[in-house]
Formats: sequence, C-alpha cells, structure tokens
Amino acid sequence: MLFKAVSYVLKAEKILKAESIPHKIIPVPKHISSDCGVCVRFEPAIQNKIEAALLNKVQIEKIRPLND
Amino acid sequence: MGDTKVVDARGLACPQPVVLTKQALEINEKVTVLVDNETALENIKRLGTKLGFAIKVETKKDSTFEIKLKRKKGVVVSSCSAATAAPGPFIIVISANTMGQGNDELGSVLIKSFLHTVAEQPQKPDTIIFYNTGVKLTVEGSEVLDDLKQLESAGVQLLVCGTCLNYFEIKDKLAAGTVSNMYDILDAMSRAGRLLTP
Repeated sequence: MLFKAVSYVLKAEKILKAESIPHKIIPVPKHISSDCGVCVRFEPAIQNKIEAALLNKVQIEKIRPLND
Repeated sequence: MGDTKVVDARGLACPQPVVLTKQALEINEKVTVLVDNETALENIKRLGTKLGFAIKVETKKDSTFEIKLKRKKGVVVSSCSAATAAPGPFIIVISANTMGQGNDELGSVLIKSFLHTVAEQPQKPDTIIFYNTGVKLTVEGSEVLDDLKQLESAGVQLLVCGTCLNYFEIKDKLAAGTVSNMYDILDAMSRAGRLLTP
C-alpha cells in the first residue's frame, strides 16, 4: 500500500497499530519505485480491514502486489 | 571426491579454525572439523550454514567437538570472494534504535527499513552488534524481530550488549541474538575487515 508521503505512512501506522491490524512498514520495493520511500506491507486477505481503518483518515495513493 | 577432508583446529586460536574450514569447504564436498571450544563450534556452525552446508555435531568424550559438514546440492563456495573481500569479518553496528540525527520519529522508520533491507540482501554481514538504544530492537515487541530472526537463521551472529539490556531493564525480554559483553563486542569490532554503522 503506497502513500503520497512518509508522513501519511506514519499516520497510517499509528492507526493500524491502535486497531491491532497486522502490517509492516517496509522500503518501497525497487520494481515499484526507484525513489526512496516506505510503504505498508500486508496480507491480501485483510485489505478491506485496512482500507476501512484508514477511510477518511489517511489517503491511500495506490495498492500494488508485492511480487509483480 | 567422496573422501572427507579433516580439519584439526584443536588448540588453534580464533580466527584460524574458521579460516582453515573455509579453505577446506571451497574444494571439498565433505569436511570434518575438530575444535576444542564452544566459540569455535558456534563460529564453524554459522560458517557452514552461511555457505549452504548440512551440519552434524558430535560431542566427544574429551569434550572436544566433531563437526561434520556436507555440501548441499548446487552449492558453490567461491574462493575468489576471499581475495576481493576485506581481510576480516563484515560487521554492522547498531548504536541506536534510530538512524540519523535530528528527528526520532523519522529515525525510527529509517532504522527499521535499514534492517529489513539488510535481511533481504544476499551479501549478509557476519555479525551485527547492538548497544545503547539499539538493544531495544532485539526485544519482544520490536518491529524488526522477523528480520533479525531471518538474519540469525542465515548464519549472522547478533551480539546484544548485556549492560544496555540491563540498564533498560529488558534483559528478560530478549527475543533475538545473544547477550554479549564489552570484551566480545570490542573483540568483534577490532577484528572487522569492514565496519558499518547506519
């Protein structure tokens, strides 16, 4: 899950942690972007949960599969 | 090819046992190493894991250890890497639970990204040393535990400063790595061929 800026990622992390939704902040994989950045990695099964948690709180830029 | 090369490293001082074993592993399918102390035993086991060898350890009656190493299929140990590599282990020192200075929130994100990336690289360090707030990354609840455990199972040695764990009162919460002391930490750092601290 990609966001517009690092601060968005940090905000998303706070929300996900507060709701105990499993996730991990990782560097954006090279095949997705060559820019430095971090994103949220999660199990596909809980995508809805995460989207619901972040709805109206943090804007999600893009969701890409980890292994293209 | 079917013969086993025996390396008798009993009585030899560090790093001789590892150096001789590595040389033997480059050209032999099966190597048996004899050592007389636990430190050498652990070092050889880690070397074997790192290079892709199956390991079997037997404790002998005279308290020495016999380590049988067998090359797994498709594993090639390149000796040219020894020539171009630094003459000594590759060490990473994590001296804080943040990376860079000025902003801790950002620093926390960076150190986690850093360790995650280290865990993903094929060229892994030989040892990672943690001290001061760096030890906080090795205890229960740390967000990089999965990366640290992955590194450990790939043969990377994780040394965690005992004094620091003590100071932060988290010694009983250690979840990755082994508790170490200033002597071992200094020893590792001074032997390094390459030392990196983020």
